[in-house]
Amino acid sequence: MSRTAETIDTAELMYPGHVGCPGCGATIAMKLALRALGEKTMLVIPACCWAIIAGPHPQTSLKVPVLHTAFATAGAAASGLRAALDRQGDTETTVVAWAGDGGTFDIGFQALSGAVERNEDFLYVCYDNEAYMNTGNQRSSATPFGMRTTTTPGTNWKRSRKKNIVEALAAHRIPYAATASIAYPEDLMRKFEKAKAMKGGSRFLHVFATCPTGWRVPSEMCVSIARLAVQTNIFPLYEVEDGNRYTLNFKGEKPVSEYLKPQGRFKHLTQADMKEIQEMVDEDWELLMRKIGLDPCG
Amino acid sequence: MTESEKNLKSERIPPVISQSKISTEANQTGTWRFLRPGYDEKTAPCSAACPAGEDIGRIEMLAAKGDLDGAWETILGENPFPAVCGRVCFHPCEGVCNRGEFDSAIAIHGLERFIGDAGIRKKLSAPVPRHTKVSKRIAVAGAGPAGLSAAYFLARIGYGCDIFEAAPEPGGLLRWGIPQYRLPAAVLAAEIDRIESIGVKIHCNSPIHEGRLEGLQRDYDGLFVGCGEGRPIPLKIPGEELALDGLDFLRQMRQGKETCNGVRTAAVIGGGNTAIDVSRSLLRMGAKKVLLIYRRRREDMPAFAQEVELAIQEGVELVELRAPVRIERKDRDCRLILGPMRAEGTAQDGRARILPADGEEESLDVQSLYRAIGAEPAADWLRPSQKGDVERFSRSRIYYDQFPIIFGGDLTNPTKSVADAIGSGKEAAMLFDTLFAEGREAIHDRLQQCRVGQGKSLSMEMYLSGRRKTRNKEEVPFERINTEHFTKAPRQNTPLPGPAHVIGSFAETEKSFSEGAAQKEAERCFNCGICNDCDNCRLFCPEVSVNLSDPRTCEAAGLNRQIDYQYCKGCGICVVECPRDAMSLTEETTPL
Ligand SMILES: Cc1ncc(C[n+]2csc(CCOP(=O)(O)OP(=O)(O)O)c2C)c(N)n1
Ligand code: SF4
Ligand SMILES: [Mg+2]
Repeated sequence: MSRTAETIDTAELMYPGHVGCPGCGATIAMKLALRALGEKTMLVIPACCWAIIAGPHPQTSLKVPVLHTAFATAGAAASGLRAALDRQGDTETTVVAWAGDGGTFDIGFQALSGAVERNEDFLYVCYDNEAYMNTGNQRSSATPFGMRTTTTPGTNWKRSRKKNIVEALAAHRIPYAATASIAYPEDLMRKFEKAKAMKGGSRFLHVFATCPTGWRVPSEMCVSIARLAVQTNIFPLYEVEDGNRYTLNFKGEKPVSEYLKPQGRFKHLTQADMKEIQEMVDEDWELLMRKIGLDPCG
Repeated sequence: MTESEKNLKSERIPPVISQSKISTEANQTGTWRFLRPGYDEKTAPCSAACPAGEDIGRIEMLAAKGDLDGAWETILGENPFPAVCGRVCFHPCEGVCNRGEFDSAIAIHGLERFIGDAGIRKKLSAPVPRHTKVSKRIAVAGAGPAGLSAAYFLARIGYGCDIFEAAPEPGGLLRWGIPQYRLPAAVLAAEIDRIESIGVKIHCNSPIHEGRLEGLQRDYDGLFVGCGEGRPIPLKIPGEELALDGLDFLRQMRQGKETCNGVRTAAVIGGGNTAIDVSRSLLRMGAKKVLLIYRRRREDMPAFAQEVELAIQEGVELVELRAPVRIERKDRDCRLILGPMRAEGTAQDGRARILPADGEEESLDVQSLYRAIGAEPAADWLRPSQKGDVERFSRSRIYYDQFPIIFGGDLTNPTKSVADAIGSGKEAAMLFDTLFAEGREAIHDRLQQCRVGQGKSLSMEMYLSGRRKTRNKEEVPFERINTEHFTKAPRQNTPLPGPAHVIGSFAETEKSFSEGAAQKEAERCFNCGICNDCDNCRLFCPEVSVNLSDPRTCEAAGLNRQIDYQYCKGCGICVVECPRDAMSLTEETTPL
């Protein structure tokens, strides 16, 4: 990977001085996303960490407009913002809903499902830090099997599996649904550019974003952990067009234990637990490969 | 005002919604920091292993970007002989290359030749000498690699230099000891011309002997002695005189005075580079069969492994563990009597101990016989003595008794190679200059400052206070390369012709890289410890605190990025995601 100063777009659409935790992966996600989306972008942000990172009133950390909305309403508010812009004759601006996993998988799911069922013309981004982090690490339906949170503490660590949100969105047959990771910036930016260009319908991006504070990993490992998630296939990078055309972007080869072991949130897991998780990963991978039309072992 | 800023201040949004109109830039989040990331360029292992101390990681970085002129100038800063070394150096750099632990080492040697040849082809001129002219003048004995290098660096620092050479042409071992199929005369001539172009004067047919020392002391402020080892070491066996001297053979050959017509079998005694050169030359001169006789084993040979391999590929037959016992005359042939040897245990030098073995002596009839078991100084005064007011350095020795005399090159080098000779000439230039400018006491510290990494190689760029001086001497181990940012790629190799082309031809054996292959190969380099503008730090920083710097204001450090410590929270992501260990994380002592 070699980039030169000349080939890099130097204008960041984010200000320094925001109040995200040191090493916040969700912040990297936004920075990269805005590089791809450009300044003709309007964001809708419901309650989540990013509602704070975007700036406590009267500050803003973003150089694009942000509409702060209630926790459950990103899908609906983005639909409304799109309609308002259309009324003004502004078809150029990209409307982007930017919500956490709690705001997407759980409380915001009905608004999102309703909006994409109507095929609303926006890009919905879920940055996934796998729990309700802004309120102190409560489990969500994006929290993975095996993770300790404040609502799945001690030996009661989470026993149910993470909801597969991309499949749920693909089931709505929207034009574009894909996963992306902060550890693969070129791939992530390409997907944002692609989604931006697919005007006229609903696009959904599920972005993996490490939360060093909540996951109990050193801040400097933020990107490495995200990379391991892809390399171990626990968070595969793939795209789904029109709900049925699948493309795989990366094939991981490492055992999932390499991803789990360095993280405090999984510290309690035994060998047997990790084996169980490996089996789940393998099963999900096999299913994904079948959809893609690839040999799972090939 | 950008479109988005206009939107931000837009009055079109209904006033019932509160609006944020100031940015977060007011928050000095740098106060949160307890670890401080920073650019901290370190030393690549290859450069520390290079006897000439070349900045290899940077050379490959520039070559990868297509800046061949820049790459060439970077070499010339530390070594006046890229096209020569790109052919004859034994490249210890490649042995320690970090990429070797990932897939395979960078073809540093082949790239150096490619860059060196480009410099000759494009007629690039040598770096300009330092402006300040020094009134002192230095005499140099011997126009071999050590003497030429000493004169080149002295001239660059501003000294007047005269080289006195015994032979009719300059080059020393490079001209007389290395056959043309390894180093074409034109290449050598081009690089020597360039040294002369910066003001070095070479006086040929002008040997320096003990009797001239007094005169030199009158006319010069110092003398560098780098005339190598000209006298062959004898075999010390009966019939010795029947074996010819290998170096002498190579010299005669370069003057066109040798043929091998009618030689069915030739034998060469020895295991060093000269023995290999003589053997391969004999084949080219038409000897039908060439035997290389060595008292140890192939793996013990001091010759460079690749040369041994090429010799064998070309048809030289290796006879291991046989020691010459005596040589007799047999009609018009020579009869060489060989005794069997065996390897056992390990001797002090780390090689196996070689002892006579039981078994019959063998005899071998040959039409020509050469010995090449090493050489020693040609005169006693050239043997650097322990006596007198002397100080020893890594690759040279200085005597203060009369006027300062520095011995270097093969006379003092533990490893007798071309690159070590060049390193020794550079060391001598620094010694003279420090001695005259700052005095004898300053020498030790000054050399220490100019070391490349932890090794003994020296950097002239550091000596002249160039950017390289700020480089951390810590060497980058493979573990500190973030290999996630690299993909495996096969090493590009320089094409080798088949042995069939060898007979009767002194054309250069090894071919050079094509431009495409060279760039591809240079791109494989990790650039260990050196910022190559990959931009990972800026790309991943969650704080938007890595900024492109204005090269006009940041010239000193020479880096194209800077960290805004007003906002950096010290998460350390930039340091971990730096692929090449060009950054470090240290404890914060002064936030903001
Ligand atoms: C209706 C409602 N319930 C609860 C909250 C409190 N609340 C604010 S942010 C948040 C968690 C958001 O979690 P997630 O969407 O995963 O985003 P994260 O904070 O992890 O980035 C909660 C519970 C709220 N703002 N509104
Ligand atoms: S990868 Fe490049 S810089 Fe690193 S040791 Fe090898 S040649 Fe030197
Ligand atoms: Mg969350």
